[in-house]
Amino acid sequence: MLIYAINRILQAIPVVFILSVLVFGFVHALPGDVIDTLTSVETDEDPEVRAALEEEFGLNKPVYVQYFIWIGKALQGDFGKSLVTRRPVSIELMERIPATIYLAVVGIGLSILIAVPLGTLAAVRRNSATDYTAQVTSLAGISIPEFWFAILCVLLFALHLGWLPSSGYASPFEDPQKSIWYLILPALAVGFRQAAFTTRLTRSSMLDEISKEYVDTARSLGLSERKVIYKYTLRNALIPTITISGLQLANLLGGTVVLESIFAWPGIGLAIFQSIQLRDFPVIQAGVLVLGIMVVIINLLVDLLYRVLNPRVGLG
Amino acid sequence: MSEQQLRARQRVDTVSADDSVWEIRLRRLRAVTKNALQELYKSKTATVGAMMIVLLLAMVVLTPVLATHHPTKPNYRVRLQPVSVEHYFGTDKFGRDIYSRVLYGGQRTVLISIAAVVLGLSLGIPLGVFSGFFGGRFDAISMRFVDGLIAFPGLLLYLLIITLAREWKLEGFYNDLILVFALGVNTMPEVARLARGSALQEAKKEYVEAAHIIGEGSAFTAMREILPNCISPLIVNATVRLGYVILIVAALSFLGLGTPPPTPDWGADLSVARDHMETHPMIAVFPGLAICYSVLAFNLFGDGLRDILDPRLSER
Amino acid sequence: MSEHDRKNPLTQTRREFLATTAAAAGAAAAASVPGAAVAAPKRGGTLRFATRVDGRGLDPHRNIIYYVSNPLAATTQGLLDLNTNMEIVPGIGEEWDISDDLMTYTFKIKKGVEFHNGRDVDAEAIKWNYERIMDPKTSHSFTRASLKEVKEITAVDKQTLRIQLKAPSGVFLANVVYYPCNLIAPDSADQADTHPIGCGPFKFVSWKRYAKTEMVRFENYFETDAAGNRLPYLDAIEGYPKKEDKVRLTALRTGEVDLIENMAYSDATNFKKTQMDKYNTWDIPQVGAGYLAVQAKKGPFAMSAADGKLMRQALAHAIDREAIHHAIFNGLSEKLTGFYSTSSPWHMPGIRNIKEFDPEKSKAILRKLNAMNTPIAVVARDTYSYMHQTGELVYSMLQEAGFKPTNEVFDNPVLRKKYKKADYGIDSTANSYRFEPDGWYSRNVLSSAPSTKLRTGYMNEQVDKLIVEARSTRDFKKRKELYTEVESLVNDDCALIYTHCIPLTSAATKNLKGYQPAFAGPFNINGGGVRTAYFA
Repeated sequence: MLIYAINRILQAIPVVFILSVLVFGFVHALPGDVIDTLTSVETDEDPEVRAALEEEFGLNKPVYVQYFIWIGKALQGDFGKSLVTRRPVSIELMERIPATIYLAVVGIGLSILIAVPLGTLAAVRRNSATDYTAQVTSLAGISIPEFWFAILCVLLFALHLGWLPSSGYASPFEDPQKSIWYLILPALAVGFRQAAFTTRLTRSSMLDEISKEYVDTARSLGLSERKVIYKYTLRNALIPTITISGLQLANLLGGTVVLESIFAWPGIGLAIFQSIQLRDFPVIQAGVLVLGIMVVIINLLVDLLYRVLNPRVGLG
Repeated sequence: MSEQQLRARQRVDTVSADDSVWEIRLRRLRAVTKNALQELYKSKTATVGAMMIVLLLAMVVLTPVLATHHPTKPNYRVRLQPVSVEHYFGTDKFGRDIYSRVLYGGQRTVLISIAAVVLGLSLGIPLGVFSGFFGGRFDAISMRFVDGLIAFPGLLLYLLIITLAREWKLEGFYNDLILVFALGVNTMPEVARLARGSALQEAKKEYVEAAHIIGEGSAFTAMREILPNCISPLIVNATVRLGYVILIVAALSFLGLGTPPPTPDWGADLSVARDHMETHPMIAVFPGLAICYSVLAFNLFGDGLRDILDPRLSER
Repeated sequence: MSEHDRKNPLTQTRREFLATTAAAAGAAAAASVPGAAVAAPKRGGTLRFATRVDGRGLDPHRNIIYYVSNPLAATTQGLLDLNTNMEIVPGIGEEWDISDDLMTYTFKIKKGVEFHNGRDVDAEAIKWNYERIMDPKTSHSFTRASLKEVKEITAVDKQTLRIQLKAPSGVFLANVVYYPCNLIAPDSADQADTHPIGCGPFKFVSWKRYAKTEMVRFENYFETDAAGNRLPYLDAIEGYPKKEDKVRLTALRTGEVDLIENMAYSDATNFKKTQMDKYNTWDIPQVGAGYLAVQAKKGPFAMSAADGKLMRQALAHAIDREAIHHAIFNGLSEKLTGFYSTSSPWHMPGIRNIKEFDPEKSKAILRKLNAMNTPIAVVARDTYSYMHQTGELVYSMLQEAGFKPTNEVFDNPVLRKKYKKADYGIDSTANSYRFEPDGWYSRNVLSSAPSTKLRTGYMNEQVDKLIVEARSTRDFKKRKELYTEVESLVNDDCALIYTHCIPLTSAATKNLKGYQPAFAGPFNINGGGVRTAYFA
């Protein structure tokens, strides 16, 4: 196990390296002149100003040299400063990443809370009304565009009923109550889709487990149905649910851009999107890299967890 | 397999001397189709999904016939009209017929999604099969590359690719190709992994060894022998993926990164309709429903297909 | 507003200024409680407001802090001030004198004005600020451009500042108001990017980009109301940038904010009709115009092309302002034939050579030139929806008139590249905040202006001469005549096709009193905005 873990970690290093090359390449191939974004159309271009700005942001060197300078500094935790705000990139990211993680974690948590009982129930009472309801709802959940659902929610809960705020954010550490207030709608929008996924998954892996031999054996030994289901089956059936939820969490890190824009949620996805439009390349590069590393780490942890929970899987 | 089916198959395989190759092939095809349809019938979900897809494709093909108005021609005298005999779904803020726009938008979206998934398959399958088959350094490098792409969180890779291509002066259909490319590249990693997994399993089997002994070239073996045997999970994946890609196309256009207006587009139309959500909610209803319908169709079909193709689950 | 109410700042004396300012402040206070006895404004409270944009950075010299829409605009101000009518009024500079040759401007600086760190705003501090703005290393080129005519700045004594210009200009005052040239404390340059120290009515507290800007009342702010109470009345203000028009309005209605700006055009009419009892709204005419910039450097519309002018005429006849009026602005706007709408003192009723909408005429011209189906690229920036939606409509109009258009929406850097390469036909764009007309004509019509050279390549010697003449003309009426002539010539050349003024609608909860947005939208102004706002 330990060797496997070390091996996987070693494998992750080239992945991060490739990711850094990819993002750097993409960012520097973005069309338009970065310096243009810092100057106005109402003045003549001043070569001196251009040279000074290029010098300041290291744009006067060949691209590959820029890459090595960037990655070298990034390894020491220095991502440079934002082209637009001129504040250190680390500040820009640290302001935004927590909001995204907050939304993603609560969204996934919410989805598990809804999906696991629902999926289990659906599997246990197969072909019952509960099962059909669960199946139809979850199919709807994965078929409705998230942003449309979000807009409809705002229309209903914020505008017509006036129960919840339509947009905004408060830090959970500064003002927990207000923070939750703001979180409900976005988390609902994230959670609904994720819950639909997870319900389907839980249901099918439950069915998988129920049809296994040990269940019959347990039943024949006279264990109560309840005990069989909740003590043995569910535990095994939850393994894929947990792993997939972990992967979904990784996916949500950059995947909530649209919701962040609808709810004016100050997350990192939206920040990167806006930085792309402004060609704020230090922020894009660092943002994607940091998120990418988080994705790699989450995937790694999920993978290891899966193997710990499920020792039958070979370590190959 | 029923008696009848068996007999049918036998009939197909009995080849008389005067049958031409084409006749044999045709007969086989007919039998296979018939079998497939019979299988399809067994799964309710697949049947419903297939019917929905057929309807969807029919609308895609018949769009020019079904549409009642020019999709992009504005007429401010009839803007924001309610549902009527003249305008089945009403008109939008530019006075364009929403019904016709939904049709034309659907045509584009469905074609883009299909093209993107096909691109993803045609990039991912060879990559996956070859890395699974050859292993070694090629496998290591290509899989790290794939991991690098996967580590790109959420929508950010799409955002970068589309922004990258934005300055290119492309018209109409060619502009859609950028979307196709971005979506295809993003579909590729998952396909490659899936194909690699199956190829790894298949490569160990005897018939592959046998092909080796006969002396078939390795690349040829890989494609010819392994591919047919790992195609079914790929088909299921591709079907479900189609639904997902439609959602992504909509989300990207909602963010303003789709094909430029006035091209009819579900996501972009929703984004414009959002301004009139309160006073004219119906404008936002139809494109949203259209998205739901198409995604649902592919999801249902994919679900059913999985049940049919995966014998382990066929009991459900 | 009639023309009598507005005066050219050049010809107005200081006494007149004080009189109008006091009257305006009084009027604002009175208007805030219609029908009731005039109650004294109450101190305290936190105003939460939502804006369309957020600051790009904190250093106001390095970033353009767009006045209309930026929370940070409350933290600082310029040497002179603007009132609700967007007229230049005394502020920190309480008096000024312009030499007869229009080359030397002398300002007398008010005593007792402080930066937020307690340092006096004196001549030396202003000189430091202007020199910082003139230094390419520390300022944005837009800000710098407004001081490019400055030859020398002298701090004569603590309260006297003298600015000498390189060339005569009668319009220099417009450059020393808040936007573009605002003031920060000289000893705070190193923290300008993280915690700027200004001299505005509110002190900077914190900034979370795209999320929240917090500011608290500056207790030593120099302005007072008519009764002698120190302004501002509010204890604190919080700015919440919410880019989507819909999101802002919803936030107001669900009580998350008290004040919003730039309501979506589609919402405004209905909102006013149904929510009158709960909210106050202000229709701000905005000194701004949406227009089509015709790329005349090369291609079918080029100044140098033999048929360029005829082609541009064909284009002008294809534009249906009525359609834009309804479809984009929901009937709230005003069709334009020149840059200034009827709500501006610079509105020019005498403009000639207006090309009426007549697609048949366009077709006839195209046919005659054998230029049917000439490809035209209509482009627009993605930032504001009215720009690209207008582009979308223009695309259809051109199609109708026999051109073969394409329509594209780009982000700013790509559009800049297209400008440089003259790789577009028509740009659907807008320009605003030109309360001083020279700011518009000299920067966007004059052929030697960088913007003109970069974007349109428009060139007409007659127009250039008139613009330069107007710059050193003191008389308001005479200037207006000159500009009327400019607009008529521009219309004849069909180089810029004005379509609409860009209206803004702000809205606030009923209990917010004393708030009066300025003519063009900003909320930090003399006699209005956040300075006089209070909660009842």
